[in-house]
Amino acid sequence: MHRSLLLASFVLLVVAGLAFWQQSHALAPLAITPSLTGQTEYCLTCHADLPEISPSHPVETFGCVLCHGGEPLALDANLAHSSMRGEANPSDLTVVEASCGGEMCHSGSALADRDHIQRVTSSLQATYAGAIAQMRYTFGAQPDLTPHQGIYAIDGLSAFDPSTETSPMLQQFGSNCLTCHLSAQPMTGEVYNRWTGCAACHSTAPASDSSLVHSLTTSIDYTQCNACHNQGNYSLADMQFHARIDEPSDRLHAYYQPIAQFTQCEYTLACTDCHTRQEVMGDGQIYNNEKEAEYVQCQTCHGTPDSLPLTHTISSEDELALRMAFLNPVIDLQMGDTILVTDKGEPLWNIRVMPGENGGLPSYELFSKPIGERFTFNPVMGSACQQDPTQQASNTCHECHSVER
Amino acid sequence: MNATPSKDKLITRRSFVSWLVKGSLAGSALLGLGALGRFISFGSQPSSPSQVDLGPVENYPPGSRSVATSAAVLVIHDEGGFRALSLVCPHLGCTVSVSEEGFTCPCHGSRYLPDGSLRNGPASRSLDSLRVEVDAQGHLIVYTG
Amino acid sequence: MRPSFYDHLHPPTIPAAQARLRYSLAAGGLAVFMTLVAGVTGILLTFYYLPTPDQAAKSVQQLAFLVPFGWLVRNLHYWSAQLLVLAAALHLLRVVFTGAYKAPRRLNYLLGLGLLVTCILMDFTGYALRWDEGVHWALVAGTNLVRSIPVVGGGLYFAVVGGSQVGASTLIRFYAWHLFGLTLVLLILLVWHIFRVRRDGGIALPPPQARGDTSRITRKELARREGLAMLWAGIVLLGLAILVPAPLAPAIQSGAALPLESRAPWFFLWVQQLLRLGDPFVYGVLAPLGALLLLALVPYITPQRLSVDELGRWFPRGGRNMQVMVAALSAAIVLLSLLGLAH
Repeated sequence: MHRSLLLASFVLLVVAGLAFWQQSHALAPLAITPSLTGQTEYCLTCHADLPEISPSHPVETFGCVLCHGGEPLALDANLAHSSMRGEANPSDLTVVEASCGGEMCHSGSALADRDHIQRVTSSLQATYAGAIAQMRYTFGAQPDLTPHQGIYAIDGLSAFDPSTETSPMLQQFGSNCLTCHLSAQPMTGEVYNRWTGCAACHSTAPASDSSLVHSLTTSIDYTQCNACHNQGNYSLADMQFHARIDEPSDRLHAYYQPIAQFTQCEYTLACTDCHTRQEVMGDGQIYNNEKEAEYVQCQTCHGTPDSLPLTHTISSEDELALRMAFLNPVIDLQMGDTILVTDKGEPLWNIRVMPGENGGLPSYELFSKPIGERFTFNPVMGSACQQDPTQQASNTCHECHSVER
Repeated sequence: MNATPSKDKLITRRSFVSWLVKGSLAGSALLGLGALGRFISFGSQPSSPSQVDLGPVENYPPGSRSVATSAAVLVIHDEGGFRALSLVCPHLGCTVSVSEEGFTCPCHGSRYLPDGSLRNGPASRSLDSLRVEVDAQGHLIVYTG
Repeated sequence: MRPSFYDHLHPPTIPAAQARLRYSLAAGGLAVFMTLVAGVTGILLTFYYLPTPDQAAKSVQQLAFLVPFGWLVRNLHYWSAQLLVLAAALHLLRVVFTGAYKAPRRLNYLLGLGLLVTCILMDFTGYALRWDEGVHWALVAGTNLVRSIPVVGGGLYFAVVGGSQVGASTLIRFYAWHLFGLTLVLLILLVWHIFRVRRDGGIALPPPQARGDTSRITRKELARREGLAMLWAGIVLLGLAILVPAPLAPAIQSGAALPLESRAPWFFLWVQQLLRLGDPFVYGVLAPLGALLLLALVPYITPQRLSVDELGRWFPRGGRNMQVMVAALSAAIVLLSLLGLAH
């Protein structure tokens, strides 16, 4: 009896000591209380060495949970991550509204230019409505080229479901050719590596060793776009994607595919220097063809032999151009500066007009968006250009100005 | 001849085991009480801020004695600058009210002169003076400590 | 010296046969110990737990991760509660298989059955207080089961849920039941049950002339044995609390879809399995109540077969029919639970 009592009390002491040991080895929690939510979070206990995601999303203001979801008080990894939105990518289009949305954030009013999510989710890159409409029309599934279906249902489009299509070509299209829209997982291969959703463009690609990537950027170079673009062609004959087979060693050869025709600025500048916000992220309308969505031409910046490019002088503190220049600091735009503007009124805020000497023709300076490299150029007016003023589409400029690859 | 040691000086096996048992149980009890103590003392809410923004300096013109709205503090602006008098009664913490003769505490009747010094009442010391500064935005900040 | 209140908890001496571990398994005593631990740890948990839908799961996580030894208090509470249900069930089986339900112990048997039901309801209400995705299914299904009862179902549902659907009022009502309502019932039944044990002559034995062993032990010796049993039980409980944490899940988000894989708490797995068969009232209410009724009838079916001389040992022949019935019922429940686990 005494032996059992001695053993029991001793074991109890040991177990009690174990409990104390367990407590002392518990993670020392690191708390932040972000000013936007006022709710204390402990994510930094394990993630303190993650870099700040961007200058406009400081962790003291946003915290982590506002964008990522998750359990703010849990110190156990599985529980903490169990309710995260979109796993590692809260900008995936299935959860983007909850993560990035909101009146004061990225799904507010169009007037305040805060309607990014509405525009992106209805854009060609997200809905693929154009390609789907073209394919279905080609193979007799619909009578016209008007977009009726997209990758997901939105704004009058229903969801494209290849399994309900009668044409085997359309079914194959569904299995082989839907790899480059914003909700699609990228194809396997280093060059195709990207995220989905907003992060497809605005975040550096996932690391090959699956270490954490935590960055949002407005500095987007052509290599980011080329995770989907200029990597090959879909063949209608066998409904397959055929990757490009050349092995380019410099920018001139890497930028576009061997079949492309392009001018010097088209490979020297970044894609985003010409392709505007509305072109890339959508303008809220459902288009059925790239050609309708892409409207910027050579004349947008260079003008025609008869007319100078459209300009706009910055006259108000809360103009979009000033906000863009602040977010992407490659140009020090001031009130009173004159910038170029597209015929839809989109500001080309990285291109500034330099008045001509002695009242002559102006010239222009462009600061390329990824790294701010400065280029200057002259308008077509007053130059030796012989092109018919009524035939000013970009492909006519290519006739003379395309470079030898 | 060696005398056998008397039983009083020896510890019997039974009493040794008994002490071991009691010792282990006491040890476990102490650990348990220690754990209980730490469990109960966790502060889940942040304690009240040690400094309070009393608003723009212009709200306290020279020669004024005004009770601040966001803290139990009387702000005095005289030739010597800004001073702050805590309106928390040092007896048991009620907020004293301003009267013609100075301050009176409604809870147990402590009374203070206009400069905060103790006149009478169950309180044993005068009202505290608090540090007060003007910050970069021109706001008056009081340190409640 | 006149005996104190503590001394009166036990008689001055009891037959040694009543204190034999091999006979009683100490199951009833274990259940009392688990109740005590659950009660004390429960009180400590109320220092931090907040019974509102947006704060409940958060306060549980705060306890589990941030409060010093909060994890320990919570795990002890969880494990003592589960072991309590198991000990009570074991105790019920022991009583049936030793014929200890024979008169004059029939009322006490029913009191014990009431205690088992109360413990299960305590387990369920406590489980629901987590208010996280892990309990969401059980909460919705369980309360809808109440609604399936004809005539009174609607009113009963409203009384349980506190509204037309599960929400803040449900949480506060479950909190009230778990802390006060069911605790009161538990305490009354427990005191009555233990009183009856004393009044019916302690743990069931044959009358003195029919006993083989007439030795007795003092109450001091009994207290020592109980103390030792509590020590060992406490060690097992602490060990479990340190090594196996109580379940945690993200908070219930209103409007979120129920998770695809939804499981009942372990003590209701058998009911969940039954519910797969069809009508919720028949399989979810009538069937379990039927099982309870069968158990309640044990002391009243053919009581004359069991002779008082057969008491004090396992599997007396006179109680064979009841032993078979209860064994079959338990096997069915265990089998259904295992099936539910495997699903």
